[in-house]
Amino acid sequence: MKITKLVSTLALITVLFASCSSESVVLPKGDYETGFLISGEGSSAGTGSVSFVSNDFDLVENLIYKKVNLNELGSFLQSIAFDDDKAFIVVDNQNTITVVDRYTFEKRGEITTNLFTPRYMAVSGNKGYVTNWGSASDATDDFIAVVNLDSNMVERMIPVGNGPERIIENNGKLYVSHKGASTTNNIVSVIDIASEVVQEVIVKDNPDELFFNNQGQLVVLSSGRTIYDANWNVTGNTLGSISMIDVASLAVSNELVFASGEHPSLMVLENDTIYYNIGNNVYAINDTATSLSNTSIIEAEGYFYGIEVQGDALFTLNANFSDVSVLNVYSIETKAKTQSKEVAVGASKIYFN
Amino acid sequence: MKRQLLFIFLGIVTNTICSQNVSTGTILKEVVVVADQRIAENSTGYKIRTLKDSILLKNTESFTALLRFNAPIYFKEYGAGGTSTASFRGTSASNTAVIWNGININSINSGQTGFNSLTVSLFDQIDIRSGGGSIEYGSGAIGGTIHLSDALVYRPKKTIQNQFVASVGSFSTYRGLYKFKMSSENFSLKIGFSYNQSENDYKLLGTRFKNTNGAYHNSNTTVTFGYRTSLFSQLKLYSTNYKGTRFFSGELPNPKAANDKYKDINQRNLLVYTHEKDNISQELKFGFLTQEYQYFGDKDSDNFNFGRTKRYLSNYSIAYRLPEWHSTITSYSEYESVFGKTDGIVEKNRRQFSQSFEYQQRVQNLFSFDIKVRKDLNSDFKVPVSLALGVQSKKINHVSFRANGSKNYRVPTFNDLYWPGQGNQNLIPETAMQGEFGVVFKKNKMNIDVSVFYIDAKNKIVWIPNGDSERPGVWTPMNLANTENRGIELASNYTEVFGHHAVTANVNYAYTIAKDKRTNTFLMFVPKHLLNSSFAYRFKQVGLFYQQLFTGKTFTTASNSKDFIISSFFVANIGGDYSIIQNKNQKVSIGFKVNNVFNENYVTQPRRPMPNRNFNLNINYKF
Repeated sequence: MKITKLVSTLALITVLFASCSSESVVLPKGDYETGFLISGEGSSAGTGSVSFVSNDFDLVENLIYKKVNLNELGSFLQSIAFDDDKAFIVVDNQNTITVVDRYTFEKRGEITTNLFTPRYMAVSGNKGYVTNWGSASDATDDFIAVVNLDSNMVERMIPVGNGPERIIENNGKLYVSHKGASTTNNIVSVIDIASEVVQEVIVKDNPDELFFNNQGQLVVLSSGRTIYDANWNVTGNTLGSISMIDVASLAVSNELVFASGEHPSLMVLENDTIYYNIGNNVYAINDTATSLSNTSIIEAEGYFYGIEVQGDALFTLNANFSDVSVLNVYSIETKAKTQSKEVAVGASKIYFN
Repeated sequence: MKRQLLFIFLGIVTNTICSQNVSTGTILKEVVVVADQRIAENSTGYKIRTLKDSILLKNTESFTALLRFNAPIYFKEYGAGGTSTASFRGTSASNTAVIWNGININSINSGQTGFNSLTVSLFDQIDIRSGGGSIEYGSGAIGGTIHLSDALVYRPKKTIQNQFVASVGSFSTYRGLYKFKMSSENFSLKIGFSYNQSENDYKLLGTRFKNTNGAYHNSNTTVTFGYRTSLFSQLKLYSTNYKGTRFFSGELPNPKAANDKYKDINQRNLLVYTHEKDNISQELKFGFLTQEYQYFGDKDSDNFNFGRTKRYLSNYSIAYRLPEWHSTITSYSEYESVFGKTDGIVEKNRRQFSQSFEYQQRVQNLFSFDIKVRKDLNSDFKVPVSLALGVQSKKINHVSFRANGSKNYRVPTFNDLYWPGQGNQNLIPETAMQGEFGVVFKKNKMNIDVSVFYIDAKNKIVWIPNGDSERPGVWTPMNLANTENRGIELASNYTEVFGHHAVTANVNYAYTIAKDKRTNTFLMFVPKHLLNSSFAYRFKQVGLFYQQLFTGKTFTTASNSKDFIISSFFVANIGGDYSIIQNKNQKVSIGFKVNNVFNENYVTQPRRPMPNRNFNLNINYKF
């Protein structure tokens, strides 16, 4: 998230810069330059797809990849990663990463070999690092695929623990949350890119979203999980948490633990505020907070499946897997809903382009 | 006799509209007995389309393909040979019941029958009955029922018949079946064996890919045995074993990613004792059925998910005829105990007792009617009373009228109730009220049946996220949707013989408007128009046929978004055969078939193209 944030900030600066010096000739980079992208996982009802929404919300264009390339992405579109001018669309059931121009969405290439249920990708230099679950029936074959972005070939595979999910790069190291694929896990892997040495930090169960806060700590959201007996009656819960990890010592320096039975699934950082959810309620805390919030700032609608924040605007996705989903935007200050737009089937992620 | 032979030789389009008598094949004074008496005897006012074994043997690709070209049912198939579900009169997949020798065999786990998870070429006859049938067949008989029948034949003279059919086709497809039939006056035995295998790696039209990971192989054995223990009584045994392995093919744009495998292992046994004397008929049935699937998320791994069910059932019926009243009253009592488990659900037991009564009456020579009522007592939930009424008028000037109305149900499946962490034990059965009115025209060689139908379904089970406020974000099944289906069905056939030439034509058309009542949008995966037809021509030893299917566009989203539709398609097959030897003791014919002769690029599920033009050669040897 941090990377897309940085990129989006840069893009925004570029836009501002461009608009300030409107006299000079700055060619638009493509139809999808001044807005944000929403990826939808897709389902049997409709392909995984990307929607474009202009910054002023006047223009909403669904299925932009299909429109430009006359082809569908398939299911399930898990995530998108970016470098300066390309977007890497990760579709897990297809074992495919489709490379497009991030502003025109014209296809530039694809990676279809040596991926096995790919989930997320981080970009550093001319390398991409992709988390892969491997076989559905093997918890020990999970890996990070190292992709040469010049050739679009997987160069190496770094074995890691079960169910690697989100991945970010920072200072020559990769940080990977292990949500546990179809089972469960409770680690964050720290991989030194040069040596490929993998270290593990234990957090609460099912870690997913992660980013660096302004203090340079790694912030990880763990959902915790529900425990069932043989008859699938709920017999208990493991706890969820927002864990802050000191990356020098790899110690969890601060852990904000949720109440039993609360299972947050979404978290995002904007400036110095962390936004997270419990069910449909959105909460906000400072990124150095030592306790969780008791006051929901906004209640999202429907099947709350994706979140982003930009300034005062809180973006929430009400995902629908048998139909188009809905993007609802709220003003954090007034709590009013300012926008509502129909977007991709199974919409899950928002990226400021 | 001639007509019968014609059917066998033309071998494609023998449609019996409104057949009230399945065992019409009484040439040579033979007696044909089927286990599913009720389809023949208790269908007053219903439309039945019968597919004889000659048609089954010409459409051996799959159960799906057979019905797609011969019945007014829409099939959604995840690539040829993959998961396949039916929509009959616009109803959902669990609302079409498949009946094996009188027993509903829809899966207890999913409520459906996978139309590529069994093969049907060994059956003697398949009947397709449009309309509700929960009274006779229980849960899921809402859109219609599909009846798979093994027939037992008794002949005055002892006869032995062997039939061997083999074919080879595109995509490394090999099929073979062998049927052995022995009949005498009091004894009948049928043994059948079939084996099919295919690489199924057809070209995905418009792409550089083939259908990857789509191979399948399966084998099926059936034994059917009948013995007349006395003039009045008979003992029958039906047994079948099926084992199939399929790989699940991938979808575009990268079908090579597919890596899963699926196994079906089914076994069905049924013992029937019947006694008919004077005006009383009695029947006692015992059934034992097992069904198992194994799903391998990774075909190279030994780990799999599974579902396993065992079903014990017993059924007693007694019918009393009142000849002076032209009426019959019948009582059916059934007890069933089902044990089901999956890798995620510990074994559950569902018990059900059902009692139904039927009253049949003929009024003068004007019309006849059925009144039926059924009550189920189920260990898991309350099942509403089912009711049905059917009326059939006498033919006047070649025209007759028929009508039926019924209340039917579909019970929640084990998956709905117990799916790990997501099941909902507060579900109630879906119910559907339905009605139908039809006009039948029947003259010599021409049959036409036109009907209008209406289905009003309530409490349809839908899986949604956040359905249960106690489980936020979790997908759970809820009794949510109310739907209304209306439509028109047309079925017609025509046969003409001049000299050595014979022509048969057959047309099925269904117009369906199926809507969600709350949103007033069309239901997903229901085409408004569906038309299939076939034409056959025979001259002496040479036969030719042509069959075609048109399916209208379907929406794939609940809101009917124009961005997500499956386009209409038109697909056609041609074929022919030549009789090399044809005499009293043996018949040998060779045949060919070209499927998708116009090489149409079509899908029934997005990103999963169906097979391109493909060829098949077959030999049929009967002795």
